[in-house]
Amino acid sequence: MTRLAGKRAFVTGGRQGIGQGIAERFCDEGARVITCGRGADPGLTGVAWHQLDVADPAAVNALAEIIGGIDILVNNAGVQVEKTVADSTDADWDLVMGVNARGVFNTCRAFIPRMQRGGSIINIGSISGHVADPSMALYNASKAFVHGLTRSVAVDHGPDIRCNAICPGWIETGMLEAGFELARDPALARDDALSRHPVRRFGKPGDIAAMAVWLASDEAGFATGQLFTVDGGMTAASPLNPGLF
Amino acid sequence: MKLEGKTALVTGGRGGIGRAIVRRFHDEGARVFAADLSPDGSFDDTGAEAGEFITLDVTSENDAIAAMAHVGEQAGQLDILVNAAGIEIEKTIEDTTLEEWNQSFAVNVTGTFLTAKHALPLLRRAAAAGSSASIINFGSYDGFIADPGLAAYCATKGAVHALTRAMACDHGPEGIRVNAICPGYIDTPMLQSFFEGEGSGGGGGTIETLQQAVRDVHPMRSYGTPEDIANLVNWLASDEARYASGQLWVLDGGLSAQVQQMRL
Repeated sequence: MTRLAGKRAFVTGGRQGIGQGIAERFCDEGARVITCGRGADPGLTGVAWHQLDVADPAAVNALAEIIGGIDILVNNAGVQVEKTVADSTDADWDLVMGVNARGVFNTCRAFIPRMQRGGSIINIGSISGHVADPSMALYNASKAFVHGLTRSVAVDHGPDIRCNAICPGWIETGMLEAGFELARDPALARDDALSRHPVRRFGKPGDIAAMAVWLASDEAGFATGQLFTVDGGMTAASPLNPGLF
Repeated sequence: MKLEGKTALVTGGRGGIGRAIVRRFHDEGARVFAADLSPDGSFDDTGAEAGEFITLDVTSENDAIAAMAHVGEQAGQLDILVNAAGIEIEKTIEDTTLEEWNQSFAVNVTGTFLTAKHALPLLRRAAAAGSSASIINFGSYDGFIADPGLAAYCATKGAVHALTRAMACDHGPEGIRVNAICPGYIDTPMLQSFFEGEGSGGGGGTIETLQQAVRDVHPMRSYGTPEDIANLVNWLASDEARYASGQLWVLDGGLSAQVQQMRL
């Protein structure tokens, strides 16, 4: 599989989960992959690592100087704080909007001048940017920012660069399992959540990586400015499912 | 009173939502024609606030022509058309017969088309006389996201949404505004039938526990009343809404603003 042969990709937040899944698939497809994160090198085979806080514009600009030209930018780095507006602190705002919103802006601004015609930017939005997850106010809003910026980049920087967002639903990570453990009856909560997915399973990082590969490839040459939801059908259904009561 | 001097026709005028709209229009000073299959439809309604009844099967073009001829003779023009007639088949596509599918489209989509088509000359007359003529269709939040086991209904409502935008484009230049209201769960005979239906209450609860569970999923912690819908219909029908056209107005107590709720 060499759909990305000869392309150079920079994936933010490549330590684990969706970012790791995308980095690995891009490698398999023949791309040269660079990732970054706030911590130490996780040691992914064949993947270059840089320590970076995407919320820091000077640091992003400095790293862009080092990395140079790329064909594919994936803005995957993200954080979440589980609070309502009333409970959120200024520090919560700075953290969530800093990474999820300003971070995407920082990397786009730094790398767009370093991308040639045919370049593809893939932002990780969320179904939470369309419909609200309870007690995730800043996260939901930050993802709506990502959706809006995606359209702006596509409009302003076409035809040279395409820009799309992937909106994942519930992806199997440690975070999802931790959520079920908090339930009164974890097994019931898990079954209930599964029954709300028409495909009767949760997503895997590879499901998102598969869409990222397509959007990064030249096969997606006519796709730009769009939000691609990959959620196993969950948001196609009403949040009210009387069959479950 | 917002609708003084205006003439309105409401299809499904004896149904749960239609009846509330007829009454509200009457209270706001409009002359109202309530059109339905029979005067005792879902609700047997009499008195001035029940409007002037017209027998109308919205799937019949002859009925639509006759109804508009009657309104033309009686009132000379039509300022407001509300397409509130609708039916709901509670089945997946596999269980839906072709007859049921066709009937769903005949009432919900073709009915909207026929009634609006033959109302246009009367609406144009109102617009020419300086009225902000208004067609209000009934879509549904089900036109955006699906309820299980309501396939034909979901499809017809999606069609009404697209038809609403198309009509707004085509007839805006003639001074006719076209909007759709997309209700969520509204306390009507249709909703009660849904509660009592086989497709719901799978957990073995009673209708009361199901109703409470449905309320609890809504950010407003209740489902809506026909009067809630009539409030927005009244605004869209009035001259205050003269710049509102081509839009789908979701009124659902916040239901569709949220993602699926994890049961914790």
